[in-house]
Amino acid sequence: MLSHAEAEIHLLENYLLIGALLFTIGLVGFLTRRNMIVMFLAAEMMLQGVSVSLVGWGRFHDDWGGQMLVIFILTVAACEAAIALALVQMLFHRGGNLDIALWQNLREGNQPRFVDREIPADDDPKPTFPKLTPAGIDPKTKEEDTIYRTHV
Amino acid sequence: MQLLQALRVLGIEPLTALACVCFALGLWLLLPSTTARGKAFGLIFTTISLGLFATNLHLLSDWVSDAVFYVMASVTLVSAVGAVTMRSPVYCAIWFALTLLGTAGLFFFQGAQFLGVATVVVYAGAILVTMLFVLMLCNPEGHSLYDRVSWEAGISAGTGALLVFLLTWTTATTVFVDNTAFTDKTPAKDSKEPAPIVLTATAEQQNKNILAPRHVEKLGGELFSKYLIGVETAGTLLLVALVGAVAIIAHGKHAEAQAAAVRTSDGMTSGLNEEGRRNA
Repeated sequence: MLSHAEAEIHLLENYLLIGALLFTIGLVGFLTRRNMIVMFLAAEMMLQGVSVSLVGWGRFHDDWGGQMLVIFILTVAACEAAIALALVQMLFHRGGNLDIALWQNLREGNQPRFVDREIPADDDPKPTFPKLTPAGIDPKTKEEDTIYRTHV
Repeated sequence: MQLLQALRVLGIEPLTALACVCFALGLWLLLPSTTARGKAFGLIFTTISLGLFATNLHLLSDWVSDAVFYVMASVTLVSAVGAVTMRSPVYCAIWFALTLLGTAGLFFFQGAQFLGVATVVVYAGAILVTMLFVLMLCNPEGHSLYDRVSWEAGISAGTGALLVFLLTWTTATTVFVDNTAFTDKTPAKDSKEPAPIVLTATAEQQNKNILAPRHVEKLGGELFSKYLIGVETAGTLLLVALVGAVAIIAHGKHAEAQAAAVRTSDGMTSGLNEEGRRNA
């Protein structure tokens, strides 16, 4: 049986390790992925990693500060989500897709331009959807129903 | 053997170093790449590295809390790896939702009830759903090119492994799990060793403060007294972000219409297509 102090310090160390790993996975995702939405998601994951460590320290020091900071992190994350998704939406309309490489004109002046050298083959199978066997006669549809739906 | 000894002298656990190497390898193999090279190996390496990191974890007070903690931690980390490495962004979002549930569980485990609920409601309920909405609006059909390749996966995974190694090393050398740290002896003033971080709060104090049965009441009292200015600032920030998001979208629509008008009139006269203008 562990003493109280030992149990608390073990808990703290475990939480710090989990927080570090979560932050790092988010960091690697942010650096490597090219889809803007996935990059945003990885940034949120880094925030989660920090939150885990903060809550661990707050419990260890018996102080509310850690949890308060996490509450403010949540607020900032919500603001960030609103702004970032609005930006992503606008950039998608300007550029046509979610690739961050479209905006590489914003890079440093002395950096070379990035060009995709090898285009990977799309080897994923097309999804197949189940089909129902038709039964009975086709219902009559008005011509305008095929253009827009007059009722639901 | 000499390498092992050198590691010991520096205070580095050989298993941790190995875990970091496996972590880098696993992430590198798992990240989307041009060739479908060794996803299975990536999975194996990541699992091995998470297992080796688990040897760094310490046992808690009883086996029930151990079991709960290990389940929460593994759910969080495995789904985090999934969220980062999946090719389809929708799958990424769904794995991220699982990560959030795992983190919420970890918060509950620490006695932070309000934060656990808030994480589920704000993150999983609002942010993630908004993200899926934008994905639905933006994502073209099928797997696009930019989801199937990643920038410099090897270097990034190596950097990440280095970071996690430094973090675990620092934790291991500064946070002491040494039994002598819990006695009331104070470290000698002139010793070069860093002072161990010693727990000051007793269980009774914690039960009155952060682990109190009326947790949310205490948290709210603290939030609206000591952190009142912060709350007001956060409210202002939310308002500004709301206005900003609306402004970005509205202005974007306006500018887009203008650009389209210019594009059509330009296309008649100069014949410069959109691609050429963007590259120019």
